[in-house]
Formats: sequence, structure tokens, C-alpha cells
Amino acid sequence: MKRNVTLMGTLIAGLVASCFAGYVVKAQGAPRQVEITAKRFAYAPGEITLKKGQPVVLVIKSEDVAHGLRFRELNLNAKVDKGGSAQLSFTPDRTGDFVGHCSVFCGSGHGAMTLTLHVVE
Amino acid sequence: MRLPAGVIVAAFAAALTGCKASPPGKIETATVTFAKHHIFIRNKSQKNPLEPNAATWADGKEAFSHYCVACHGMDGQNTGVPFADHISPPIPSLASDEVQRYSDGQLKEILDNGIWPSGMPGSKGTLSDDELWAIVVFIRHLPPAGSQGIPEMYNH
Repeated sequence: MKRNVTLMGTLIAGLVASCFAGYVVKAQGAPRQVEITAKRFAYAPGEITLKKGQPVVLVIKSEDVAHGLRFRELNLNAKVDKGGSAQLSFTPDRTGDFVGHCSVFCGSGHGAMTLTLHVVE
Repeated sequence: MRLPAGVIVAAFAAALTGCKASPPGKIETATVTFAKHHIFIRNKSQKNPLEPNAATWADGKEAFSHYCVACHGMDGQNTGVPFADHISPPIPSLASDEVQRYSDGQLKEILDNGIWPSGMPGSKGTLSDDELWAIVVFIRHLPPAGSQGIPEMYNH
């Protein structure tokens, strides 16, 4: 009887611990969300600092025509419909400055529409 | 001092003749081509930072389609461009030896700043550096003439 109670206690403790462990892992891995507005011919903010290894979601919202955001070096690309939004989810795995460009032709200043990511330790 | 009316008329006539968009002669073409390749178009030694692979080529084709096609056609060889032969200087096929003899750096220079006094405009700021270098890759590997159809704007 005593042995059964001990076994049951261990099982319950293990179950509770595993639930909390999952919660802790999830809390640590929760991505940071950054909202970006895209409007001819700039992003706001134009520069973002991220931590290496910290998951992030960039939420890009267009305030006028269709736009995009592409980081060639990071192999990331999102296209945003006119007035719509799109997300880029990733975890920076190296430090440095990365310049993203609008990837949907949006007019005469399209080529100068950039956003810089500063990834730090 | 009064100029005779005949001189004034002759001067106007000469000026108007100079404005006529007639095709350049062989000597004029050879001289200007030499000058562009060896004097006016700089940046000969700059290398393309992009790998010339299928993905870059596709990027270049897309960037080219934004407005280059209005004068150069979908294939870069003037297919379907109704005025290609009627302006002076005529629009060259990008597959021609005259264009292909430019280095990658010179092609980028032309894409950035255009060529004066031809109708070729500069695209620096309108297209990104990435897109312009991708267009250089596209120009180096143009599709067969006529294979891409004609620009939509000339379809109506």
C-alpha cells in the first residue's frame, strides 16, 4: 500500500513537473514581435536591433500600395498586399548588420526603401 | 549689323535638320560606340557581387519587367517595341556584341546612371543595388529572342 502511494506521488510529481517544464520552455522561446509599417518609400522604424538566438516575428503592415521586405543574406522574403500585412518569423543566428529591401516594385523611390537589422550578442 | 534673311533661314533649317531623329551613320556609330566603351562608361573593373545562378537570374528577370521592358522588350531584344528602330540612336538589342562587350561593372554603371544623350535613363534609387546587379545577370543570359512574348502595354 505504502509502495503504491509512493509510486502514485512520484507519477503526479513527474506529471506536474513536466507541465511546468513545458511552460518554462515555451515562455523562454516566445518570439519577440516587432511591428513595422511600410509606406512609400520607407519603413518605420527604419532600424531594429535584435538579439542573436532570440526568436522574432516582424509584422509588416502596408499603409498604401503593395510592398515587400527581403533580406537576401538571411534568405527571408515577405510580400504585403496593398493595405495588408505579412509576417517574417525567424531566429537570428549570427551577429551583424543586415539591410532589407522592398521586394515589390512600388514606384520611383522603391530602390531606396530599406530597413536595417542590427543583430547583437 | 543686320544678317541677311537668307542666312537666318539657312541657320534655322540647319538647326531643325539637327533635331531630326534620323539613324546615325556608320562612322558616327563606330565613333560613339568606341567613346562609350573606352571613355564615357566607367566602372569597368567592378565585379558583380551576386552569384549568376537560376535564382538571381529570376530576380533579374522580374526587376527587368518593372519598366525596362517598355524599351527593351521582355527578352531584352526589343521584341514588340514599336519604336525601337525609330528613335535616334536606335535601341540596341541587349544581346548584341555592342552591349555584351561591356564589363559587368560598366553595365551596372549604365543601369545606375543611364547614357547621355541617348534615351537610356538611370535607375539608381528606383531599383535597389541588388535588383540592378540581378538585371546584369539577366542581361548576360538573355532568353531566346521572341520567347517571352511582347510587353503587356503593347498588347492592346
